[in-house]
Amino acid sequence: MTLKLDRRQFLMGSSALMAAGAAGIGPAWAQASNLRLIFWGGQDRADRTYKVADLFTAAKGNAIEAEFLAWNDYWPKLATQTAGGNAPDIIQMDYRYIVEYAKRNAIAPLDDYLGGALQLDAFDADQLEGGKVDGKLYGISLGANSVAMLVNKAAFEEVGIDAPTNAWTLDALMEMGEAFASANIRGGMRAIADGSYSEPMLDNWLRQRGKALYTAEGGLGFDEGDAVEWYQLWNKLRDAKVCVTPEDQALDTGPLETTMLVTGKSALMPSNSNQLVAFQGLVPDPLDMVGYPRIAEGVGGGHYRKPSMFFSVGGTSADKEAAASFVNFFVSDPEAAKVLGVERGIPCLPATRDVVAPTLDGANQIALNFVANLGDLLGPLPPPPPAAAGEVDSSLIRTLGQEVGFGAKSAEQAGKELVDGATAILSRAAS
Amino acid sequence: MTIAQDTSPAVAAAPPRASAFSRFWQQNGSGYLFLLPWLIGFFGLTLGPMISSLYLSFTDFDLLTAPDWVGASNYVRMFTNDAKFATSMRVTVFFVIFSVPLKLAFALGVAMLLNRGMKGLPLYRALFYLPSLLGASVAIAILWRQIFAGDGLVNKFLSLFGIVGPSWISNPHYALWTLIVLSIWQFGSPMIIFLAGLRQIPQDMYEAASLDGAGKWRQFWKITLPLLTPVVFFNAIIQTIEAFKSFTPAFIISGGTGNPINSTLFYTLYLYQEAFGFFRMGYASALAWVLLALVALFTAFSFLTSKYWVHYDD
Amino acid sequence: MTDAPMKMTVVTGEVPLWRKRLVSVLSHAALFAASILMLYPLLWMLSASFRPETEIFTSASIWPSEWSIDAYFRGWNGLRVSFSVFFTNSFVIAFLAVAGNVLACSLAAYAFARLEFKGRRFWFALMLMTLMLPYQVTLIPQYVLFRSIGWVDTILPLVVPKFLASDAFFVFLMVQFFRAIPRELDEAAMMDGAGPWRIYWKIMLPLSTPVLATAAIFTFIWTWDDFFGPLIYLNKMSDYTVMLGLRTFTDSTGTSDYGGLFAMSVLSLVPIFLFFLFFQRLLIEGIATTGMKR
Repeated sequence: MTLKLDRRQFLMGSSALMAAGAAGIGPAWAQASNLRLIFWGGQDRADRTYKVADLFTAAKGNAIEAEFLAWNDYWPKLATQTAGGNAPDIIQMDYRYIVEYAKRNAIAPLDDYLGGALQLDAFDADQLEGGKVDGKLYGISLGANSVAMLVNKAAFEEVGIDAPTNAWTLDALMEMGEAFASANIRGGMRAIADGSYSEPMLDNWLRQRGKALYTAEGGLGFDEGDAVEWYQLWNKLRDAKVCVTPEDQALDTGPLETTMLVTGKSALMPSNSNQLVAFQGLVPDPLDMVGYPRIAEGVGGGHYRKPSMFFSVGGTSADKEAAASFVNFFVSDPEAAKVLGVERGIPCLPATRDVVAPTLDGANQIALNFVANLGDLLGPLPPPPPAAAGEVDSSLIRTLGQEVGFGAKSAEQAGKELVDGATAILSRAAS
Repeated sequence: MTIAQDTSPAVAAAPPRASAFSRFWQQNGSGYLFLLPWLIGFFGLTLGPMISSLYLSFTDFDLLTAPDWVGASNYVRMFTNDAKFATSMRVTVFFVIFSVPLKLAFALGVAMLLNRGMKGLPLYRALFYLPSLLGASVAIAILWRQIFAGDGLVNKFLSLFGIVGPSWISNPHYALWTLIVLSIWQFGSPMIIFLAGLRQIPQDMYEAASLDGAGKWRQFWKITLPLLTPVVFFNAIIQTIEAFKSFTPAFIISGGTGNPINSTLFYTLYLYQEAFGFFRMGYASALAWVLLALVALFTAFSFLTSKYWVHYDD
Repeated sequence: MTDAPMKMTVVTGEVPLWRKRLVSVLSHAALFAASILMLYPLLWMLSASFRPETEIFTSASIWPSEWSIDAYFRGWNGLRVSFSVFFTNSFVIAFLAVAGNVLACSLAAYAFARLEFKGRRFWFALMLMTLMLPYQVTLIPQYVLFRSIGWVDTILPLVVPKFLASDAFFVFLMVQFFRAIPRELDEAAMMDGAGPWRIYWKIMLPLSTPVLATAAIFTFIWTWDDFFGPLIYLNKMSDYTVMLGLRTFTDSTGTSDYGGLFAMSVLSLVPIFLFFLFFQRLLIEGIATTGMKR
């Protein structure tokens, strides 16, 4: 028994384990065709995933040992397991972290399995691209989703104006805001949540202007002028009472029950297309989904269909081929597709979509239709975000938005800080 | 003397080590024997990870690949180029200064009340401990929002008096106070410890004092408080250490963000963000050791000054 | 001492009955109001567990519009593994932890409080230091350590440290209480020829029921409420504890079952509350007298 864990031993141990794993030499106990799977989600997703795992075991023989956690707990656990050389075989991965994990070989490149264990010829090209880091495939998209504006239809009826459609613009938003402000329903419900610190909204707005959040090289894709204009836009919306107060918006700390839509503070809220079902479960009013507002009539290109999440194969997995074949089964098997529905997003294989579409109910149908009919709102797929994007989002975009909202900083100050700070973070991460 | 010197080599060649050891064992053996479980645990399970984390603080460790030695640069950055470090330190110190004394005051006050032995005592005791049972559950976050949000209970109560309160929990000026209130609301643990301490004061001392004509107030000052000082000391130290390390309330109420505008960015929350959010475990380890140094200084100072006011019976 | 002629403390100056009653009523009223403050969250959770999901966050009143115990059934069986398994796991871990802590920490505390030995202060300081380091940074090295001895995916990392007095909090707590017990008792026993073990077993422990009960209560509750340890070290859902199970009810990226969460949260309070009620008697009965002669 180790009484004293020498730091050298600790380093040696974990790196040796990881090196051995990468070379495909796993410890004896991993040779059994047991595959470990880890994913985040709630019970609903867990039920579906377990059913598909059972189907896979029946079809291919590998037993799947699955574990699931809530989003917040998932990442520390996964990081701990990886640091301890104990990462699972199949790992659910997110856009935000895939670059980190891929760059450090904590997940394995899958190009070698294309055409073999992975039969993905008909896979949506943009979804396949979305899982690539530095040109290599690291994750298979489990479903496409797109950003979407959630709409509380009942609230709009109460105010007596038309709910927005995919054609709506920022000017239309101003008008809706004024209508809500004067109608003053439900204790002062505003038209829209405060989107100034929503990274997706900023991204969408920049893309409509021909810019982007990040460039393919990992630098910033916009300048100070854009940033200042962004904050000024939201100041205007805030002053005109179109969006919620900063105090209300600050109540939103992530969990669905804290969001403006569920707490009844606004009738519109930016979100993702695959979350409609979850929100509908919490809100008694009927909900709908439209695209983000256009900056002017006819201007599109802000949206893109992004992978909602991926399955990756663990870098130290002993049986990567079996893991890859599980992933393949997950996204292409028709029985599996029926079980999974669109809970993780819109399936990326046309054949799977065809199987799933007739089985969908209300909210799920709305989501599917929305993503399928984005039309000119769709723009090109952006390059994968640089590794430090998460930090830029939480440390700068979110915080600066709040500071401007509470009046602690002016739009000009915030715009400058955003650009300067983001550049600093990006260059530090790149070094 | 010379005679002794002549014979001493022979005697000295006999087992000097054995006698030194057996002397050591006789004097200290029972102490170490009783301490054995702790020693095994310390050397086997605690020391290694502690030293590892100290080592990691001098590295760049992103959790997924092996650590990279970078010397003291983590510490340098912390003190020269990290605004969030200063913010989180400020938030935490503020929290400690306000939550600990208030919490202890409530705990002691209620413990004394409950020690009197009134009707319904066990029930009240359990009720006052209930908030601490709810601990770190997700429910607390939801509840605290219901109470302290703009349209929450507190404001509804205030509106009865015509006061329009802000959204306490999401306003950067007040959000930290809601966490302070949360900490105080969970005073059950120190209260129980005070109760146990009060219970250990023998009743006959009070009886003797009453017979001597001492009133309740005098009894409190001359008997209760002095005899309670070991427990007060314990609670003060422990609550302060825990307050410095406070993580879960801020984590669940702000969703791990330190919302709004980092006004609830507790030190360990910042540490956690660095470690698991941004994959900078090396830096997080450095942060942890700075905290340890700070708390250790405070504790050492408290112990040194404790001889002036803490009365032990030994 | 005053110059006034010695007064006999006559018991005739009684407080009038109505004043006594008033004080009693007022203090009960204050306690009652305070209790509502303490109870309110529990009431809210209870209410949330009985009402429809869409009402939980949107309704202004605490009274459900429709009552249903559906959430309890859903929560109990909702995850693949039923909560009865989680409860059993939590109990096992908690009881073992209590046994470990009470035994091991009292041994160490006795050594620090009563026995003289070289290095005592040094070890005591070290022990306190272990309290000061945030667990987030020892997490990974500890995980690597436990993995190297094959304890990951078992409850051993959660339980064995308790038998090795790893909870410095309780060692420190007991030290303070042991030091408050008069040495005369030890000395008397030593005159009778008792060694340190006998003193520990026959004098210290029996006189320390308040602090031991406190340690038992806290250990049980904190182990029950701990989720980070189980999160990191338990991989199979059939090993999960109640707290870990609860955390899978809400996920910020998908659908959550809040009704089920609150129902199970209410249920998970029951054992710790009962444990508390049972052990608080030990805490309170304590020692009425020490049998000490001054």
